[in-house]
Amino acid sequence: MFILTTAVLPGVILILLLTVGRKYAHLTLPVYALITLGIGHGVGLFVAPPDREMGDVQRIMYAHVPAVWSALVALVINFGCSVAYLFNPSWKTDSLAEASAEVGLLFGAVGVLLGSIWGKPTWGVYWTWDPRLTTAAIMLVAYMGYLALRRFVEDPEKRATWSSVVGIIAAVDLPIIWFSVKWWRSLHQVQSSPKTTDVAFQLPLRLSSYAFLALAALFIIHRYRIAMSERKAEVALPEALPTDAQANRTAGVM
Amino acid sequence: MSSLMLLAQVAAGEVGSGRIQGGWGYVWASYGITWGALTLYALSLWLRRPKNSPVGPKE
Repeated sequence: MFILTTAVLPGVILILLLTVGRKYAHLTLPVYALITLGIGHGVGLFVAPPDREMGDVQRIMYAHVPAVWSALVALVINFGCSVAYLFNPSWKTDSLAEASAEVGLLFGAVGVLLGSIWGKPTWGVYWTWDPRLTTAAIMLVAYMGYLALRRFVEDPEKRATWSSVVGIIAAVDLPIIWFSVKWWRSLHQVQSSPKTTDVAFQLPLRLSSYAFLALAALFIIHRYRIAMSERKAEVALPEALPTDAQANRTAGVM
Repeated sequence: MSSLMLLAQVAAGEVGSGRIQGGWGYVWASYGITWGALTLYALSLWLRRPKNSPVGPKE
């Protein structure tokens, strides 16, 4: 029953909102995110017990871990879109790649910053060149470079192709981040997940994670619309032109 | 849900307050940064929203 209410049910609702109810996702996702975030962070801050070693500082986990997970999901979407664009060029995949990179960078930056704050009371330093932290920093730099490239290249087709290549190269770092704590047992603990945390921490961790995923999906949807609007304006697709301008163009006036 | 609350209270009694004492300042700073960053990004998306609304049949 516990697993059903905390893991299965919110996940099923989120999937339904993103698939069957995607037409209304811009309205339902904020409501879903606010409810799950309110319960997740509320329980995490005020109800969940302190950790045996880290005490109350452990409560940072309910924001840090979901932020990093959401970043990785968004950046995997960016990788998929980058590969898809090279095989089948489309402004939709290019716009989705741009949107997912920006949202992934946002959540990644929040995750790294919170990890740094968490590190001070537990390790004694805000930053150390631990493999997990180093690979996470490389991720931030790589996707800042990706977004900078998109900003500096004016030709939309060249920009889409070049950024797809950069997106694929940057994604090499993602599995290294994930497995770094297993490959090099260093200062950073192993992944905090329902499998590695106490059952008392699982409700806030799961609900906060679903809330962050919903927010990431919502942000990507809105950022995708902005990107598509920019693409249409840039390439002046025939269907984006006003009717009279299209007629003039056909007649060779323009 | 009530069993979880009971479980949390029992666990809290067993572990005490943890080896690291205090640290609520770090916790609130983290949550403040998180909520602030998400709110600001949502605001930036709203400010950047496409201005050209779909052309209606009358236009």
